[in-house]
Amino acid sequence: MRPEPAVGDGYLVTRAQEGYLDAYEMLVQRHSAMAYRVALRLCGNHHDAQDIAQEALIAAWQNLARFRADSSFSTWLYQIVTRRTLNKITRSRGADLVDVLDEAADPITGPAAQAERNLAVDAVTDALAALPFAQRAVVVLHHFEGLSYAEVAEVTRSTVPAVRSHLFRARRTLGAKLEEWR
Amino acid sequence: MTGSVNDPPAGGQADTHLLDAVTLPCGADVDPLLEQVADGHAADRDAHQRDCVHCRAAIAEFAALWTPVTETAASPVLPPAGLTAAIISQIRGQVRDGWYTLQATRLGFIRIAARIVAALARDTASMVPSVRVALGRSTHSQIAALTEQATFGHHHPHAAVGVLGRTAVVDLAVAVTYGDPVHELARDIQQRVIATLRDQIGLRTVAVNVTVDDIFIDEDQ
Repeated sequence: MRPEPAVGDGYLVTRAQEGYLDAYEMLVQRHSAMAYRVALRLCGNHHDAQDIAQEALIAAWQNLARFRADSSFSTWLYQIVTRRTLNKITRSRGADLVDVLDEAADPITGPAAQAERNLAVDAVTDALAALPFAQRAVVVLHHFEGLSYAEVAEVTRSTVPAVRSHLFRARRTLGAKLEEWR
Repeated sequence: MTGSVNDPPAGGQADTHLLDAVTLPCGADVDPLLEQVADGHAADRDAHQRDCVHCRAAIAEFAALWTPVTETAASPVLPPAGLTAAIISQIRGQVRDGWYTLQATRLGFIRIAARIVAALARDTASMVPSVRVALGRSTHSQIAALTEQATFGHHHPHAAVGVLGRTAVVDLAVAVTYGDPVHELARDIQQRVIATLRDQIGLRTVAVNVTVDDIFIDEDQ
């Protein structure tokens, strides 16, 4: 079988809108890991993250006809994942305080190596989980996913100054928590 | 959070002061400095920062403080095995594609889902040189038209598929690499797909509609 074709998301979205299920399956293959990763970092629970990733990609498919090409498919998916995570957290408060990456243990490394490597990760995870959702979302999207301020603003339906303001506060809080950990 | 850092910014208690302060003694704002470090630009110092001990100390301190965040962001988060397959499976379950080919044999009936026909067609097309991507679908509307014709307008989903028997119409959307004559490429795709569906599915009548809807420059050339 050939390697994954080098066509853009836009092409696949258009074909998927025309009824080519194959095209959407390729989009799922490209973006399911991202959906899961973002959900996990936002909600801190492996099972919820899995549910959110599934629901988000299915919801995106069901609403594909409404998708407009003025934003990228990944930005749209970030938006759906972020919103669904917030909904889930709001419905079951407390779940967001579970360690973010603990349950998603790397299957390649052993428990001891994992524990050692995760010390810093745990500290960041705890600090991240303690942030209000809006601040956590902008940190995850900007510092973990590498989105620009403008992209984060689009995903969170906010403005660049608001994103920047949330980030300023979030960084100070994270810094203070990490200072305690050091 | 008010005022500036009054003590010399060199480790110890100054760390806490640093995050509590709005500005450094030199007048530089703390938030943009932390932003600069967190965005990976600690080394990109401006003229003031190069000469200012307060700024240099603050940047060094923030760099050490932010390292775990950078490491965490860089550590891979692997999705659970089977996540992608589970999503695709759920979506397929929602697509009520009830179309099957039907072949009567002495041992019974053989039914092959239209989805399988489309997938085989797609994979065959994607193996043709110069084809960048091939997407397949069964042509519901055309099958429906054929069915209606064959059954004299008698609509019955399962019987209709039976009446279709060993006939298939497949739509292929294809993106190709710039170079070869596109119409010859499209004909090659048709011939190969028809041969595959006849050989591997046992279909007798196959129509393959090829739509070349995008063309790419091969970056390797």
